[in-house]
Amino acid sequence: MISSPLFVLASLVVSLHTLGLVILIFTNLILLILAFMLFFMLWKGTHEKNHDRYRLISGLLIRRAVFYDDQIDPETGIPGTKKATRLMVNKVFRKLFTEELISAKKNIAGMAAENLKYLYHQLKLESFALKKLNSAHWHTKAKAIQELTLMDMRELKDDLFVYTNDKNEYVRMEAQVAVVQFNGFEGLRFLDSITYAISEWQQIKLLHKLSNLPPAHIDISGWLKSPNTSVVVFALKLARNYHGFEMHDVILTCLDHPDPQVRLQAIHCLGEIYNDETSVHLISRFWRDDVRHQLAIIKALQNIGSEKDNIFLSTLLGNDDYDLKLNAARALASSGLKGFALLVEYNDADLVLNDIITQVRGELAA
Amino acid sequence: MKILVAEDDDLMLKMLEFRLKKDGHEVIVTHDGREAMDKIDQLMPDVVITDIMMPYFSGLEIIGAVKTKYPGIMPVIIISGMGQESVVLEAFQLGADDFITKPFSPNELSVRVKRFEKSFFT
Repeated sequence: MISSPLFVLASLVVSLHTLGLVILIFTNLILLILAFMLFFMLWKGTHEKNHDRYRLISGLLIRRAVFYDDQIDPETGIPGTKKATRLMVNKVFRKLFTEELISAKKNIAGMAAENLKYLYHQLKLESFALKKLNSAHWHTKAKAIQELTLMDMRELKDDLFVYTNDKNEYVRMEAQVAVVQFNGFEGLRFLDSITYAISEWQQIKLLHKLSNLPPAHIDISGWLKSPNTSVVVFALKLARNYHGFEMHDVILTCLDHPDPQVRLQAIHCLGEIYNDETSVHLISRFWRDDVRHQLAIIKALQNIGSEKDNIFLSTLLGNDDYDLKLNAARALASSGLKGFALLVEYNDADLVLNDIITQVRGELAA
Repeated sequence: MKILVAEDDDLMLKMLEFRLKKDGHEVIVTHDGREAMDKIDQLMPDVVITDIMMPYFSGLEIIGAVKTKYPGIMPVIIISGMGQESVVLEAFQLGADDFITKPFSPNELSVRVKRFEKSFFT
């Protein structure tokens, strides 16, 4: 009983002490957070000020290059770049400036674009990009290749060629686009040795790049026999796009290729590159393949077929597949007067076929 | 001439402004379609140069609005990276007076704007 008030007092003291400790800890924590926030705001403010300053310098430099009308003196280059040269060691400025330079280069053509390229070279930015090619990160490599391509650094085409068969898909894609941009059709020599597949999208990009160039004679016969089936498919597209009629017999052999994609592309190709025997070869393979290939053959026959193919085409009018029937009807109609007459005379209770014939007649009349 | 430029890319906008001012024009800069529409109504520029892809209103909508409200008195020049045939055709069908695809030469822009200068003063 006597000890009980003492005990209470002691407990109170301990509690107050603990409370004080807790309050102290929380106060310190809050002060720490406030200090961190203050430091962060100061840092952010400085960072933004620097960023704004860098953007100003960057913009001025780029505009100076774009609107520089005089002949550039190789010894002095584009004037007023001393400060920028000193700032190039600053990673933040260099990154910002490079991005703005590339953005401007994408939008500007003519002499102004040449000046931007000169500025890039004058500030030795390609050396930084080349260093990035040794990075362990694929995205850094790919971005560096893209940068060199956009800035038209043709003198580095041999450095970039090695990456056309890189293990990373994106690095490969950028390097392939680069060598084609720099070398045109000659740049396609990477197809001789590439071991990885060229994606459908990449093939489209390369064909688009080539379409901006004047046509050149290219020997694709080797690529048509490549062990890389994507190279064969791409070569068939090249043959079709650039009227490689001399390749006709080699393309025919692709009709027997083990890869169905190659066979399909060969059919498409033969719809443009043909002689009077081509349809016979296509028809002889008709029943070996699936509906997709069969349809492609019939569509090719719409372009290259003649009256000798009419009997075969008329047998397809009784087929269950609507698309085959429709396209066979189109092929018959386009093969000549006899083919059209055969179509009209085809006597069948099939209402669908009658609708098809009506449609084809309408298409011809239009 | 008083030329209004509508372009959401700051760098491009500054370049266009610089080039046009160098040619002696008064330049009004706008950063998006809405600002462009407002300033066109307020300031009545002699020529409008606009990108297609912009926030709020596209360049094609600007053409439509200008040709409806100010027919025959305010030429519109499109500068765009969208050089596909369908886009070019649509722009001209809406009434665009010129179409420049990116990448473009600033000297070319200067010459094309000069054409409207001549017709402005004749």
